[in-house]
Amino acid sequence: MNLSYRIYYVFLRNLISYKRFILPTFIVSLGQPLFYLLTFGIGMGAYVGLFNGRPYLYFLVPGVLVSSVMLSSTFECLYGTFVKMIHERLYDSLIATPVSAEDAIAGDISWGAFRGLISGGLMLLIAILMGILPVSLPNLLLLFLLMIFVGIMFSSLSMIVTSFAPNFDFFNYYTELIITPMLFFSGVFFPLNKFPDWVKIVANFLPLTHAVNISRAVFLGSYSPELLLNFSVLLAVEIVAFYAGIKLMKRRLIK
Amino acid sequence: MKPLVSARNLTKKFKEFTAVDGISFEIKEGECFGFLGPNGAGKTTTIKMMHCVSPVTAGELTVDGMAANINNRKIKQMIGVIPQEITLDIDLTAYENLMVFANFFDIPGGEAKKRTAELLSFMELEKKKNSKIDELSTGMKRRLLIARALLNKPSLIIADEPTTGLDPQARHLIWQRLRSLKSQGVTLILTTQYMEEAQQLCDRLVIMHEGRILREGKPAKLVAEEIGNEVMEIRAPAQEDERILKALSGIDCGHERVGDTLYLYCRDGHEIMKKIVELNLPNFLNRPATLEDVFLKLTGRSLGE
Repeated sequence: MNLSYRIYYVFLRNLISYKRFILPTFIVSLGQPLFYLLTFGIGMGAYVGLFNGRPYLYFLVPGVLVSSVMLSSTFECLYGTFVKMIHERLYDSLIATPVSAEDAIAGDISWGAFRGLISGGLMLLIAILMGILPVSLPNLLLLFLLMIFVGIMFSSLSMIVTSFAPNFDFFNYYTELIITPMLFFSGVFFPLNKFPDWVKIVANFLPLTHAVNISRAVFLGSYSPELLLNFSVLLAVEIVAFYAGIKLMKRRLIK
Repeated sequence: MKPLVSARNLTKKFKEFTAVDGISFEIKEGECFGFLGPNGAGKTTTIKMMHCVSPVTAGELTVDGMAANINNRKIKQMIGVIPQEITLDIDLTAYENLMVFANFFDIPGGEAKKRTAELLSFMELEKKKNSKIDELSTGMKRRLLIARALLNKPSLIIADEPTTGLDPQARHLIWQRLRSLKSQGVTLILTTQYMEEAQQLCDRLVIMHEGRILREGKPAKLVAEEIGNEVMEIRAPAQEDERILKALSGIDCGHERVGDTLYLYCRDGHEIMKKIVELNLPNFLNRPATLEDVFLKLTGRSLGE
């Protein structure tokens, strides 16, 4: 792994180009979580009533938070990276400078995580405006750290997919067969305990399940030993995906 | 003098396909060295190994005494690359393209601004400073690519077909700039399919074909050795060949029949001219021999692909 501080330069390049897309992406980033909060939170929340002694929105917000990080990071490192690699040939010119292929890919992973952080941050802002607050200020900061962590994980996982993608259509397999089901089987919108056992087993293999558990615990300030397991799983996935994503993308970039 | 770039039995394989087949060459400091060859000859692959974006399969390749290797940031730091494809950052303006690239080379902000301004002026692009890339003409894009390649003040510039697709004005401007860089002591490596470009710029060149080097030398010398001084093109049906060649017997000259044309390659044009006039042929052309004749003779006239 030939990584260096130049990751930051690649991140900065993305930040400079982002200036022009900032408004549309803000609107999109706001739109989606807002949609979930309104439909599920207010629409369904009215029927659900209290949930573990609190309004349903306290259950929903921490879950939607990490899901919106997942979606933004994933899309950035699928479509965004693919466009830069194939259509704009940006990587070709990057790796002809002292920036290594590893730097370039890690730079894009960090960028994907940043895009996730923006989505999650906006979502959190809306929740706070709606009066749904994390339990304390340190917990709010912890949530930001969690969002970065989750962003790096889903960006890295997407890099693995991008490294194999012959075209845009390929991404549909990943988004429709993995990401969308993950959104519904990770306990974001409803608890999993009413499902049959096999669903619970499958859910344990979904990284989002573990991220949602941690997010909810941090948001509400109610911790349990199980969180250690959740975090271990995420950490393992993160390390493997980061390493594999970079290696596989490098194989595609350098021939 | 120590060579700046040196290759010995340099080989590049992509799975079963051999793109570069054990070539050896040396490039001296301050010269302009050309790689000529048809598409697929291995030119681009060779230079990609030099500027460390493609790993060497076998053989030796050194740049400024260092082994070329994809992790060698020092070599990349000293090279400016003008790629064959336009790989400008289309999300950024012309100015931002240069500033962001300066970052990649660790050029500090103030210095980057200064060099960016200088290079925009050197390539006559000041007015397009804040234009987006898709607002530039192909010639402007190529000029911006050159400006970008010069940001790190490279001691070696690698230009991969730098004038492909340009109009004559733009092409001549780029030749001017490349020559002016050379006069400042920069070493230049050029790949091209334009023989005029090679003749204009290169001190020495190699002609590549199917991953191998066929000839190496100074352009004028290669022409003299391989072809002679003059070429006579006679447009006549093939049945005439026998009659024409019989009339020319005794004159030192090679010949080749391609399609509707009989080519005569000669050391002395006067002698042959007299005979041709005597033969009273309706359609012929006498011209000086060029690098293109050498190129076609060595790499064949059929389409390689």
